[in-house]
Amino acid sequence: MSWAWFHKLGSPKWFFSWSKPWALPVFCFGCLSLLIGLVWGLVFAPADYQQGNSFRIIYIHVPVAMLAQSCYLALGVAGFVFLVWQMKMAPIFIKAMAPIGAVMALIALVSGAIWGKPTWGTWWVWDARLTSVLVLFFLYMGIIALQNSLDDQVLANKAAAVISVVGLINLPVIKYSVVLLETLHQGPTFTLTKKPDMPPEMWLPLLFAVIGLYCFVAGLLIWRMQSEILKREYRSSWVKQEVTEHGL
Amino acid sequence: MTYSSFLVSEFLVLWRRKQDVFNALLFFVIVVVLFPIGINSSPEFLAPAAAGIVWCATVLAILMAVEGMFKEDYHDGSLEQLVVSGLSLPLLILLKIVAQWLTVVLPLLLMMPLLSEMLYLPSSGFWVLTMTLLVGTPSLFFIGVIGSALTVSIKQGAMLVMLLILPFYLPVIIFSTLAVKASQAGLPYSGLLAMLLAISLLSLVISPFMTAIVVKASVN
Repeated sequence: MSWAWFHKLGSPKWFFSWSKPWALPVFCFGCLSLLIGLVWGLVFAPADYQQGNSFRIIYIHVPVAMLAQSCYLALGVAGFVFLVWQMKMAPIFIKAMAPIGAVMALIALVSGAIWGKPTWGTWWVWDARLTSVLVLFFLYMGIIALQNSLDDQVLANKAAAVISVVGLINLPVIKYSVVLLETLHQGPTFTLTKKPDMPPEMWLPLLFAVIGLYCFVAGLLIWRMQSEILKREYRSSWVKQEVTEHGL
Repeated sequence: MTYSSFLVSEFLVLWRRKQDVFNALLFFVIVVVLFPIGINSSPEFLAPAAAGIVWCATVLAILMAVEGMFKEDYHDGSLEQLVVSGLSLPLLILLKIVAQWLTVVLPLLLMMPLLSEMLYLPSSGFWVLTMTLLVGTPSLFFIGVIGSALTVSIKQGAMLVMLLILPFYLPVIIFSTLAVKASQAGLPYSGLLAMLLAISLLSLVISPFMTAIVVKASVN
């Protein structure tokens, strides 16, 4: 297998021209799939025999919570890539990804609280998963705050990479530690190895929503990275050429 | 410069700025005092909550001490000297942490009998709490110096260090307070102490190298 594509990723110019045709289709596909999943789930899927209609918030809560975790994993991997290979795209990726992840963690917390009120009778419990998502949100905010307060670009790149990697190493420890506090939350809805317990007309829309949100975020991410590249490389001749030829 | 001369000079600097160490200790005591006054001063509340209170105060005091660890060195240029000295930077950082840990944590441990009396902590819980402090606080320093190095070039870095580093301290606080609670309930707690030690060792492996990367990036 050739590793050329991996090395090419280090070049903002190459990434910019490669990703240009991808952003819009991925984003549109994501929107469409998300819309199908949400409409199907919120309107047509059968109500739960125990939780009634309040279970429908699963179609927002689960995809968002999955994204919140995946985003952090991606941040940590990007940080590692930057520390080891000094790849120029990695800090751009971190910068573009961190706010998205923070928003996802926040939506997961809020939607979880709204779901918790009718089912558990309380907005908030100090349960393992809730606490770990809250911590995840704090970690995201820390990365964003650090990047915003460092003026030196080189230092900001290093700093964000280091804190992402340290966060990724610590995340299992944090998760394990909060699991020792009591847990009220149900187990994971989707696992790769097992068939879901729900009937297909319930989990199929969820699958659509999850895939849709992933694509939606991927499209958003590509756009954010492209604008970050333009901001960072504004002195180079290819950006000037790009802007004069195609406009912004 | 050699490693031993570096360590001696670190202790000398800490000795000459003993007011700072003393301030951290005073801060620790004041935070502990806030809880009985602010929440409830009855022994029924304080005895089970004592470990949590002491640990919250410890975390804050250590973070305050660690936050300024590289600031002085950064501004007077000695941090740059460490980078160009030819000695191993992670090892120098490790020595610095050791010096700092000894000067901050040992006085804090000496205060513990007094504080545990004030918080009505029974003597069995006191020894477990002391042990959690001994095995848990190194990890606080190791994780904290990363934050301290990250924000060394920022003028008002203290708040940012708090925001960055406090989430990483949660497991340490959880394991320590669970250990004290387990001992008070008569349950075995050695596993929790082992977890604390494991976190300290893990951060010992990672932190000096990460800090060295950041320090190098900061002084350029």
